[in-house]
Formats: sequence, structure tokens, C-alpha cells
Amino acid sequence: MTAIIIGASSGLGRALAVELASRKQPLLLVASERRDVEATCADLRLRHGIDARALGMDLAGEADPSARVLAALEGMPPATSLLLPVGVSRRDDDFSLDAGAIGQLLAVNLHAPLAIVHGLLPALLESKGTVVLFGSVAAQRGRGRNVAYAAAKRGLTSLAESLRQRYRTRELRVQLWQLGFLRTNLTHGMKLPLPALAPEDAARRVVDRLGKGSFERYLPSWWWPIIFLIKRLPWFVYRRMKD
Amino acid sequence: MTKSARGYALAETRLTSFDRQFAADARVQQPDRYRLLGALPEHQPYVPRGSGASYVAASFGNGATSQDMSQFNRLLAFDGERGLLHVEAGARIADVERFLIAQGWYLPVAPGHPAASIGGCIAADVHGKNPARDGRFSNWVEAIELWLPGQGALIVSPDEHADRYAATFAGFGLTGTIVSAVLRLVRAPDAFVVRRVPVKNLDEAAQVLREAANVPLLYGWHDARPGHFGRGVIRVGLEADAPVKRGRVLPDLPASIEPTSIQRWNRLGISAANAWLGYRWCRPGESRVALLDAMFPLNGARNYFAGFGKDGMVEAQWLVPNTRFTAFASALTELVNKSKPRISLVASKLFAGEADGLAFDGHGIALAIHVPSPAQSSQRAFLDALAACAIEHGGRPNLIKESTLQADTVRRAIPDFEAVREHLRSFDSEGRVQSELTRRIHL
Repeated sequence: MTAIIIGASSGLGRALAVELASRKQPLLLVASERRDVEATCADLRLRHGIDARALGMDLAGEADPSARVLAALEGMPPATSLLLPVGVSRRDDDFSLDAGAIGQLLAVNLHAPLAIVHGLLPALLESKGTVVLFGSVAAQRGRGRNVAYAAAKRGLTSLAESLRQRYRTRELRVQLWQLGFLRTNLTHGMKLPLPALAPEDAARRVVDRLGKGSFERYLPSWWWPIIFLIKRLPWFVYRRMKD
Repeated sequence: MTKSARGYALAETRLTSFDRQFAADARVQQPDRYRLLGALPEHQPYVPRGSGASYVAASFGNGATSQDMSQFNRLLAFDGERGLLHVEAGARIADVERFLIAQGWYLPVAPGHPAASIGGCIAADVHGKNPARDGRFSNWVEAIELWLPGQGALIVSPDEHADRYAATFAGFGLTGTIVSAVLRLVRAPDAFVVRRVPVKNLDEAAQVLREAANVPLLYGWHDARPGHFGRGVIRVGLEADAPVKRGRVLPDLPASIEPTSIQRWNRLGISAANAWLGYRWCRPGESRVALLDAMFPLNGARNYFAGFGKDGMVEAQWLVPNTRFTAFASALTELVNKSKPRISLVASKLFAGEADGLAFDGHGIALAIHVPSPAQSSQRAFLDALAACAIEHGGRPNLIKESTLQADTVRRAIPDFEAVREHLRSFDSEGRVQSELTRRIHL
């Protein structure tokens, strides 16, 4: 029963790999640079005795990334979980990017997850598996920064809804985690307005819920009332908020 | 926080050395992918940082960006037939030993602090529980992968780039960032039988140490109070032929320890602790100790280190040649009886290696002396007098331990220091690798 992690080189993706390996799950780890995931695979094989494979792939440059994922799965147990903690953001994503840079952000944050879900759907339906998508609290309402990133992450929310509308939970579980701050390189050194969760803690909660229905949740859960309020702020109030 | 377009972030963080003698606001990069090892701008001073557990500020300070290697902590390959482990430099020594022991192997040279990183062990060329038998960490390293700024990865070994390989041990990061290493292992014993041999003074301790030179575990603890100086016990560990059930498993000692609000190691505290330890330890006997507990005795010393309070401590460690040790022990006893410093602990070890480069080695006895509140004038005066006494008797300092050593003292103690410095800097001609340690001793 293989779990596939797209974006497994660091942060939440690597923590998910460690957590799943500790539960003896065979893994296919995908990241832009093969050496990063190869090192993690070697470590997990040695520490946990699992089958772990590495696939290096430039998600921004692949027209059909799912084809290579499917090829890499050959000989492994059936895929039952597809986790997509992949994401890239830029500080200058504030309407100052050119079209090429916007395309790259959309490719990694939206096109690649969508295309990989499409390509692996038959296998996941056959195993009655789980798709795990990761949105962001930063994408709950549009802001003057993280423009393309948030648009892509909102697209994932739509993708999760589409999957849930199309397939019943007993056919395919679809889980969408809206992530708050995590202590990763993305937030390294930032003065955050709210506490950040360790990737290991986030990974444990995600893996605990794998196979337990379809849902959209906030991680940590205390983000839910905050986002609830933010979404209901009158526009004239919201547009004055800068962070 | 600053963030560059090259994909790395810097955190502004307050860092403190383990002995609490130096603290600084430092910029810390935390690469979590190989690509980010080369992300720092050219010409920017930097220093690799393992777990930050060293007594001295070897991984931060002096305007350098600390390159935190803690995410590079993976096991890359293990050969259970030949006894070889390829491991990333940020892996912590206790985690590595735990994995190895489960496979029936272990690395015989490990420092007392379980959080020390593999890269740190190489960069300081640390010693273990019996350096006279097992030598230094360098004895157990087959090859190292370095990251050279502007050049990329380089494998060094006795056969490839041998000069840089040799200089990397006790090179304090100057020869390049240590990324991974291939370690040579030995079969792990089931446990140790540790025999206690009480000694009346340091001279007697030296005799016991020399007689037991070839055992896997060998070190002494000594009372350092005036009038009792040198009294103690030598712990002689032999391989046990049956496993021992571990009692309460202590958590690993963290890299930094929150100090107590008051200094516990005042004269009363030291007196009480020494009396209790003397009563418990200073009598013949033996006990069976699990391998991991024997390798990392500092796990039981969390309260001890916290007890130094905000003033912290200094560990002065000097290695005095065998031929001069009796005279040194006598002079040191006299110095302690006269100046009456507060010393919370003295530990002794036997060495039998060559003092090459800046490594802490030689043929002799090493004493590690814990001095609380070293900023106090009387305590500092004792440390200065200790250094003078040790140098007078041919002593060699452990640069990774004592943070009060100044450049001139180091040069008097290590006569070829300048030549070694020039050699090390030839690998870092721009002088990019900087830290409080390199500033203080003018490395």
C-alpha cells in the first residue's frame, strides 16, 4: 500500500515521509531535486526497513508529471494515498512578477497537483484510496501579496470540492488541509503574528486522519474561527488590513 | 528576517555557547536542501553549525552567518558486513549510536554530549571514553564530503585530497562545510562492567589509568576542594558478556540548558556534592552499565549544568605529558590549596596519540576542570594560573572546551600554532569562515 508524497524534500513533505515510514508504509517521494529525496529514502529504508523510492522532477517544467510518477510506481504495492504538500511562494508575488514567473508559481502550486491527481485517479479509485491536498490560510481571501500563490491554492480548494462532488467517500477519500504557519524554511526567521506548528506535529495529525473520510480542516484547528471571522469581515474593513 | 532571491532565509537569533561565556545575535541560515548549501552570497563570512552544543562559540559570532546543518541528519548507507556507515553531518551522535547498537555495531569514539553532531565531532576531532585505546574521532572516518563555497561538493579521504582531509580534523570548519562522512565501526559489546578504583590523589590516578590503558572505557572523577584535591575514583570499563537491562532511560541532554536562577555551585553546594559523590563512588566495586548509558553519562548531568546559573562555567582541559604529570599534579594541588578556587569537578583521562595540527592529543594525562562563574576575578585568576602551570609542564589545551583561552596563551601552549593556522587558512584564502572561536584565538 504505497503512499506518494509530492514535494517531499523538506518541511511538511519530509515530515510526512518520516511519519508514514514509522508506520511501515512503502513510499514514493517526489521532489524537484532527486538528491534530496534520495537521502531521505535511504534514511527511511535504514531506520524503518521500508521500501522507499525517490523521483526527481521539475514540476514547473513537466507537461504531464503524472506519467513519470506512474512509471516510478512500477513494482511497488498499489498506491493508496497521494499527498501533495508541494508549494512554492515568492516574496515578490505582489503584482510585480512577469508572466513567466507567474506561470511557474501556477505550475507548481496548481497545475502539477491537478495533473498528478488526474493521472493517478484510476489507481486511487481502484484501491479506494485517499487524496490529500494542502491549501493555505493565506489564500482564504485575496490579498495584495502572495497573489499568484493564493490564486493557485484557492484552485486546490476547488479541486477538492470537484473530487468530492464527483466521487463518494467510499470510492475516494478527499482531504483538504488548510495550513496555518509551519516552522519550515518558508517561515524561518519570520516574526509571525501567531504560533507556528512543527512540521512533525502537523504530519502526525495528517497521517492520523488518513483513511478517515473526506473533509476540509484547518491545521492547527484554532485557525478555523479566525478564518471564519476574516471571511465575514465587511469588505471596507478587510481592505484596510495589510497583513 | 531577511530573505534573498536565491531561496534562503536568515533568522536573527540570540545564540549562547554551552558554557554560557559568550552570547551574540547571529544570522542563521537553515538549509534543508542540498541546493541551499551554496545559496549564501559570495564573500559573506559564514561558519557551519552542527547542533550548537560546543562549550565554546565555535559555530557563531564575529559577524558570521551560521549555516545550521541540523536538517542534514540522515543515514545514507550502512554496510553491516564491513561495518561502515555513511551519514550526514548534522546527525546527532547519540541518534547514530542508537541506530548502530541496534544493528550490533557502534562507534567507539563519541563525546559525552549526546547532541554533538557528526560534523562537529570531525571539526573538533573529539575524543571518547578512552582516547589512549581508541584515539580521536579521526581514527574512525574513512571519507568526508565537503561543500566548498563557489566550487561545490568535494570528497576527501586518505586517497583523495589527503591534505585537505587531514586538515579537516580539528580544522574548525576552515577546510569547507562538512556535509557527510563515512564512519568505520566496531562490533558493539552487550554492555560494560565498570569497576571503580578509588584513588587518593592525581598521581595515583595516573598510575591506575596507565595500568588499565587498553580497556574500552577509562576515566576518573576527582574531588577538587582544597585539602581533598585529587581524591577520587577511576572508572575502568570492560566489555560484559551479557546484555544489561537498562533502568530508567534518561532523555538526551539538550544542546542548551536553561540555567537555574541561583548559582548552585557555591562552596556549600560543591562541598555537599563532593561529599555525596565521594561516599557513593570512592570505594571499590563494580556495576553493569548499558552501552548507551556508558557512552553518554552527561544525560544524567542536566541539573549539574543548569546549576551553574546564568554565570555559567568554563571547562579547562589540559593534557600534560606523562613525564611531567607528577610535577604538574603537585604544582596544581599547591595552586588549588593556595588560591582556593571553586571547582565543581575534575575529570581525568589517559591519552596516547600524536599532537598533530590543533588536535587535543599526546602521550599523557588530561585533566578537565570545571570552574563556575569564570568571570569572577578570583576564578579568572585561577584559570590564568592553571594555564601558566600547565604550559610550564608542557601542557596542551583543548581548544573546543575552554572559552577563556586567549590567542597568546594558545600560541605559547601550541608552539606550531601559526604554521597550522596558515595551513588551515590556505583552504579558506578569503578568510570567510569566522566564529567567536576563530576571533578569540586569532585562527
